Amino acid sequence: MAATPEQLPETADQYNEDILSVLRPPTPLYVIAVLACAGLVGAAFAALLVQTYWGLGTTGLMHPVMWGVYITTFVFWVGIAHAGTLISAILFLFRATWRNAINRGAEAMTVFAVITAGLFPLIHIGRLWKFYFMLPYPNQRGLWTNFKSPLEWDVFAVNTYMTISILFFIVGLIPDMAAARDRVTDWRRHLYAALALGWRGTAEQWRHHSRAVLHLSGLATPLVLSVHSVVSWDFAMSVVPGWHTTIFAPYFVAGAIFSGMAMVITVLVPVRKAFHLEPYIRDVHFDNMGKFIVLTSTIVGYAYGVEYFMAWYSANPYEQMSFWHRAFGDYWWATWIMIICNVVVPLPLWIKKVRLHIPTVWVMTIFINIGMWFERYVIITTGLAHDYDPAAWGYYTPSWVEMTILLGSFGWFFMLFLIFLRMFPIIAIQEEKELFYHRQVAGGTH
Amino acid sequence: MATVLGVLSSPGATADALHGLRDAGFEDLDAFSPVPSHEIEHALDRGPSRVRGWTLVGALTGVFLGYLMTIWMANDWQLVVGGKPFSSIPAYTVIAFELTILFGGVLTVIGLVVHGLMLTDSKAGAYRPSFSGDEFGCLVSCSNEQIPRVQELLNGVGCKEVRVVES
Repeated sequence: MAATPEQLPETADQYNEDILSVLRPPTPLYVIAVLACAGLVGAAFAALLVQTYWGLGTTGLMHPVMWGVYITTFVFWVGIAHAGTLISAILFLFRATWRNAINRGAEAMTVFAVITAGLFPLIHIGRLWKFYFMLPYPNQRGLWTNFKSPLEWDVFAVNTYMTISILFFIVGLIPDMAAARDRVTDWRRHLYAALALGWRGTAEQWRHHSRAVLHLSGLATPLVLSVHSVVSWDFAMSVVPGWHTTIFAPYFVAGAIFSGMAMVITVLVPVRKAFHLEPYIRDVHFDNMGKFIVLTSTIVGYAYGVEYFMAWYSANPYEQMSFWHRAFGDYWWATWIMIICNVVVPLPLWIKKVRLHIPTVWVMTIFINIGMWFERYVIITTGLAHDYDPAAWGYYTPSWVEMTILLGSFGWFFMLFLIFLRMFPIIAIQEEKELFYHRQVAGGTH
Repeated sequence: MATVLGVLSSPGATADALHGLRDAGFEDLDAFSPVPSHEIEHALDRGPSRVRGWTLVGALTGVFLGYLMTIWMANDWQLVVGGKPFSSIPAYTVIAFELTILFGGVLTVIGLVVHGLMLTDSKAGAYRPSFSGDEFGCLVSCSNEQIPRVQELLNGVGCKEVRVVES
């Protein structure tokens, strides 16, 4: 059902009341959900222990496919992390006020997704304790890291993105922490008071806060576009057939926004239902996010087509072989899952009625997330499995260790999100109230 | 010196109150608000935030350090590869860009903490929890003799409540 404008809160204080009511003590269902996620994390940790003790031989990684599920999952989570910054920073700069109700949830998702993503390169190197090799630190012979390597660029890009996302998230949270401090009466009051950093909402504080948010948005906007470009260059800068292409950066950025928006919907639909947030997270939000999905799905679909066109038009036999192998070779099933989920499944979203049918949209977003994971799997695995030399061709099958860690990453992400949900306001109270006062001035209905 | 607080119910009314007080010659003003408000900001007319300077310094530091670090490290141990230059500026631009954003962002937040939270008087004595809910506060510093005049002005603009916080 579409929410009517009359369902919006009648008073500014009701925003505090409704949104902070999500912070009530957890229900048994919530505890079960957190424990289920923690169980997946525990299983993944056990699998990681097995891998760390026995080595990377416990994975399916073997010549010629030395990048597999871990790097696929790393790229997947970095992609998921893009929606939050798009909604928070880019839509903020464009003054798209509809973002206000969903930006906090999307920002939290960004922070948790990028933290999850950051674990995978470490897991992938096998010897976790050697991670510092990637830091700008000389070895015992005084040799520094190679800054000409896209992998080194990635270290800087992902760490910068993680830092800026966390800072952006915390800065936006400060006024709401003050609101929570002023309302909550239990032990959490001290936590919120500490996180509010002495915020009193004086005009002087707002003046500096607004400027800081504006500047962080300005900095985060090119950053969000650069991060997935840099991730795409991990592949595009090499000479592997299927990887060495100039369209990778925009193709990856569009794919990241596509999957990120889908994940925002996947997460927010049950949250809206469970916490009765329909007056705030309204159907118009899903409608607008659906439009983003349609746009980015089209870009992604176009990129798939261009890859095949360029393989044919280049008359490069290696490139042609690589793409033929993708569609009809050993990995045909993964490629067609990717195409169907990312290009065919979102097609009905061109129709407004479909975009406003929330259960349908929610199911679609799950397929899109599956499709986007397979997109990265297809790019990475098929490129390496069918290189130039037929003598070096191979087939990669992930082991149970890799699959358990993959599942554990979902448990980890959702566990963090669930904990966040009960500890912090899922909707930016002050931004929603700002709209309330604007509507009052405009003389519109509440 | 005394401080008088007027409690209002909208950003527009608060801005009107501040304009009225400024017109009456009161300059030491502040406001409490649950939301950022351009009207209140314009009424107080304090100019742009100094946070912007922190962002600029951070971004310039980042771009400088990004190039300096990569170029220095490449020349500290020179790898001779096919006569190529030791310092590859296009490749190092990625690092310099990332550090521009990183330092710019971190210093922006430090600027916010310094100017907005540490160096600013948060007027904690006059604060009330409803200022994070649905009430606005208009705060005036004046001499003890001016208190009746300020109270009169605040009542005149429709304050729900006017009280002397300290005198």
